Amino acid sequence: MTQFLASIGYGHWIIHVLLLLPLLAIPLILVFPVHSARWIALGVALIELVLGLGLWWAFDPSTAGMQFVTDLPWIPQFGIGYRVGIDGISILLVLLSVLMMPLVVWGSWRAIDQKQRGFYALLLALKAGMLGVFVATDLFLFYTCWELLLIPMYFLIGIWGSSNRLYAATKFVIYTFIGSLLMLVALLWMVWVVGRATGTYSFAYQHLLEHAEVVAPWGGWLFVAFAVAFAVKVPLFPFHTWLPDAHTEAPTAGSIDLAVILLKMGTYGFLRFGIPFFPAFALSRTTGLVVASLAVIGIVYAALVAMVQPDLKRLVAYSSVSHLGFVMLGIWGSTVESVQGAIVVMVSHGLSTGALFFIIGMLYERRHTRKISDFGGLARVAPLMAAAFTITAFSSIGLPGLNGFIGEFLVLIGSFGRYPWLVTGAATVVIFSAAYMLWATQRVFFNRFTNPLNEGIGDLNLREIAVMAPLIIAMLWIGLYPAPLLRRTEAAARAYIELIQPHLPPATLPGITVSGMKP
Amino acid sequence: MMPIDMTTPGGVTLALLPELVLTGWALVVLLVVSWRHRTAADSRFVGVLSIAGYVLAVAATGWLARRGARADGLPEMIALDGFRFASDALLLWIGGAVAVLSLRWLERQGILAPEYYVLLMLATVGMMLLAGAADLITVFLGLEVMSISVYVLAGYDRTRRSSAEAALKYFLLGAFASGFLLYGIALVYGATGTFNFALIGAQLSATPPTLMAKLGLGLLLIGFGFKVALVPFHAWAPDVYEGAPTPVTAFMASGVKAAAFFALARLLAEAFPAYVELWRPIVTVMAVATILVGNLTALAQTSMKRMLAYSAVAHAGYLLLALWAHSDEGTAAVLIYLLAYSITIVAAFGILASIERAGARTVLLTDLEGLFSVRPFASLGLAVCMLSLLGFPGTFGFIGKWYLISAALAQGETFLPIMMVIGSGISIGYYLPVILAMTMKPTRTRSAHQTIRFPRPAKIAVAICVAAILVFGIWPNIPLGFATQEAVHLRQSAAPTGPR
Repeated sequence: MTQFLASIGYGHWIIHVLLLLPLLAIPLILVFPVHSARWIALGVALIELVLGLGLWWAFDPSTAGMQFVTDLPWIPQFGIGYRVGIDGISILLVLLSVLMMPLVVWGSWRAIDQKQRGFYALLLALKAGMLGVFVATDLFLFYTCWELLLIPMYFLIGIWGSSNRLYAATKFVIYTFIGSLLMLVALLWMVWVVGRATGTYSFAYQHLLEHAEVVAPWGGWLFVAFAVAFAVKVPLFPFHTWLPDAHTEAPTAGSIDLAVILLKMGTYGFLRFGIPFFPAFALSRTTGLVVASLAVIGIVYAALVAMVQPDLKRLVAYSSVSHLGFVMLGIWGSTVESVQGAIVVMVSHGLSTGALFFIIGMLYERRHTRKISDFGGLARVAPLMAAAFTITAFSSIGLPGLNGFIGEFLVLIGSFGRYPWLVTGAATVVIFSAAYMLWATQRVFFNRFTNPLNEGIGDLNLREIAVMAPLIIAMLWIGLYPAPLLRRTEAAARAYIELIQPHLPPATLPGITVSGMKP
Repeated sequence: MMPIDMTTPGGVTLALLPELVLTGWALVVLLVVSWRHRTAADSRFVGVLSIAGYVLAVAATGWLARRGARADGLPEMIALDGFRFASDALLLWIGGAVAVLSLRWLERQGILAPEYYVLLMLATVGMMLLAGAADLITVFLGLEVMSISVYVLAGYDRTRRSSAEAALKYFLLGAFASGFLLYGIALVYGATGTFNFALIGAQLSATPPTLMAKLGLGLLLIGFGFKVALVPFHAWAPDVYEGAPTPVTAFMASGVKAAAFFALARLLAEAFPAYVELWRPIVTVMAVATILVGNLTALAQTSMKRMLAYSAVAHAGYLLLALWAHSDEGTAAVLIYLLAYSITIVAAFGILASIERAGARTVLLTDLEGLFSVRPFASLGLAVCMLSLLGFPGTFGFIGKWYLISAALAQGETFLPIMMVIGSGISIGYYLPVILAMTMKPTRTRSAHQTIRFPRPAKIAVAICVAAILVFGIWPNIPLGFATQEAVHLRQSAAPTGPR
C-alpha cells in the first residue's frame, strides 16, 4: 500500500486535494438542481474519505516532523505562505474529519428538508475549514481557517437549528470571535519580535518555533492571549457556557461537527501552538496548576450538571465538557503517555459523542422531541437502536474494551505523577459519568414502555445502520487494539515532550511510568 | 523620472493636471446642465458625462505617475510624489463610484437637478487638493472647496426635512472646524514664518519647541478631528449621515474621511515630525476615545445609516493607529485600509440605497428582516460588507486591520492594537445582527422587499466591489505590492525608529 501511494506521488497532492475538493464542489451544489445537492455532497465526502484514508498508510510513524509538507509563497510582503503539513499530533484528527464527512452528510439525509443547497454547501465549507486548521503550518493560514469556520457554523445553527437557534448562534459566534481577537494581536506581535531578532518576518510555524525563546520575556502575556482563544473553543471551565446552547440548538450535523472536530481545535491549538511557543510560562508550576484545576473542575462539574439534564442533547453536550477536561489534563500532564492519551481521548470522544448525537438526531426525526421523559422502554420497538446507544454509552463512560477507556486511562496514569490529587479527583468522574449515561440509557431505552406515542418509532433503517456501523466498529477496534493508533502518535508525542522537557518543573511523584506501554 | 520646476506657471499646471482636468470637465458639464436639466434622461446623461470626467482625471493621474513626475527642488503648494498619486487615484475612484451609485437613484427619489454631479466633481477636486497639499494654504483651499460642495450635497434632497437639517448642521459645525483650522494655520505661520510643510518641518526641528507652534498643531488637529469625525468632535456625523441622500453619505463616509486623513498623515509626517512626542499621546487618547465611543454608541442604533455613521467614527479611530506609527508601514497601512474601507462602504451604501423607497424614512435594521429569501444576492453582498467592516478573515477589511495592527506593533506599541481588537470585539455586536436579520429572521409582511429596485449601473458597481472585497481578502498582493513600494512613502524626516 505504502509503495503504491508513493508511486502516485500521494504525499505531494493529498492535502491540497482534501482542502480544495469541498470548496470546488460548493459552486456545483449551487448550480445543480436542489435534489442533487446532497448527492454531490455525499460524493465529495466519499471521495475525500477514500483519498484521505491513504494517509493512514502513507504517514511514516517513525519520524516526528511534519510530513506531506508544502510551502508556497502567498503574501510575500508579510512573510505569509501557503504552508501545510501533517504530523503525529494532527494525523488522527485529519483522519477523524474525513471519516466523519460522509457520515454527517448521510445522517442529515432526511432531517434537512428545506434549503438543502445552502445546507450542504455550508457543510462542505465547514469541512474545508476544519481540515485547514489541522494541516496549517502557517499562522496566517491557521488564523484564517480558524475564524472562517465560524461563518458556516453560525448559519448551520441559526438557519437549520431548533427553536432557540438565534440566541445560540449569536452566542457561539460572539464567544469564539472575541476569544480569538487577542490571539491576533499576540500572533502579529510574536512575528514582529521574532522578525526583528532574526531578520526574517515569517508566519511559518517552524520558523517561529525555532526562535520561540526570543519572545520568552513576553511569554506570559502572549500565552494568555493564545490561551483565551483556545480555552473558549475547548471549552475549558468557565468558558464553556456557549457549548450546551450551541450543541442543543444546532441541527444534528452541526452538533456532530461541533463535538467531533471543532472542540478538538482548541486542545489541538494548545498542543501545537500554545505550549510549544511559550513553554516556560505555560508549564510553570502555577499555570499548570491553574489549568489542570480548571480542567478537573470542568470534568467533575460538567458530569454533575449532565446528570440532571432533562434534554438528551444537553446531557451529551455537558459530557463533552467533561471529556475535553480529560484532554486538557492529559496535555498538562506532560508525559508521553498523557499526551498520547489526550490525543486518543480527542479521537474517541469524537467517535462516541458523534454516535450519540446521531442516535439523538434519529430519535428527534421520529418523535420531534429530545426530552428524556418523553421516552421509555424503546428497546422493545427499536432493539437495534437501543443496542447501538448502549454500546456508545459504554464507550463514552470509558468501559474497558471500548475506545473511551484507553485514552482516559493513559491520561490518568500519565498525569498522576504531576498532579496526584487532581487526578484522584478526576478519576471519581468515572462514577458520575456512569451514573448520568447509564441512567439516561435506562430511562430512554429500558424501563417500562409508558408513552403510546413511541409505538410508531421504527428501528434503525439501512441508511442509519450504515452511519452507525463504522463508528461502532471504530470504537471496538480502538478499544481492543489501540497499538496502530498509538504508534502513529508516539514519535510526535516524544518529540513534543523533548521540546518542553527543559521547561518542566519536577513532578510531584517522580518515577511513575507505564511499563510495557511500548506498542 | 520627470522633474517639474514648480516655480514656473507651466510647471504648476503640469503638477496640477489631474485637478485641472476634473475642474475643467466640471465646468463643461455645468454648461451642459444649463441646457439640459429637466428630465430624467438629462440627469442620466450628465451622470454619464461626469463619470467620463473621472476616467479622464484618473488617466491624467496615471500619466503623471507613470512618467515619474517629481518636484524639481522644493514642492510648492502641491506635493508631487507617489503618495499624492495614490491618494488621488483612491479619491477619484470613490467619486466615480458614488456617481455610478447616483445614476438612477436620483431620478427614482425625484431629485431632478443634474448640478449634483457638478458638485460631486468639484468636491472631488477639493479632496484631491486637500490630500495632495504641501502647503497650509492649499490645505485650507482644498478643505473649503470640498466642504462647501459637500454642504450643498448633504442638503440636496430639499423636500426632506432631515436632509435640510443635515446640511445646516454640517455647515454650522464645519464652519466652526474651518475656523479652528485657520487659527491653527495662523499660529503655525507665526511660529515658523512659512506655510510650506517641508520648511515648517525643517524650522521646527532646528529650533526649540515653542508654545505658539504647539497651539497651532493642537488647533490643526481639532480642525481635522471635526472633518474625520474623531471623538469628541464627532457629534455631527450621525445626523448628517442619516439625513443626507444615501450616495452622498457614502461619499462623506469614505471620500471626505479619506481626504482629510491623507492630509493629516502628510501634515504630521512632513511638517511636525519634530513634535512627535507631543502629538503621539494626543493621537493615542483620541484613538481610544474614538474607538470606544464609536463602537459602543453604534451598538444602540436601529437605523442602518446611523449605525454605519457610528461605525465610520470607530473606523477613523482605527486609522489613527497608522498615524501614530509614523512610519513607512503606517503610510502604506493608511492607503490599504482606506482602499478596503472605501470599497466596502461604497458597496454597503449602494445596497442600502437600492432598498430605500422614495420619500420613505431611512432603512431600519428591522426592515432588512428576511431579505435573503427575497433578494439573496443583495443580502449576501451586504453580509460580505458587514464582515469586511468587522475585519473578518477572508475579506479585504481583515487585511486592512492586519496591516494597521502590524504597523503599530512594529513601533513597539501594544496598547493601541489591543484597543483596536477590543473595538472589533464590540463591533460584532452590531454587524452580526444585520446578517442575522437578513438570513435568519422571517419577512415581516408578505409584500416586504418587493419595492427594492437595483439600478443596473449600481448593481454592477456593487458586484465588482463585493468581488474585490473577497478577492483582495484572499489575494491582497497587488494592492499590498503597490502600497509598500518606496515611491509611495511619505518623507518621514527625523522620524524616530524602533520601539520607545
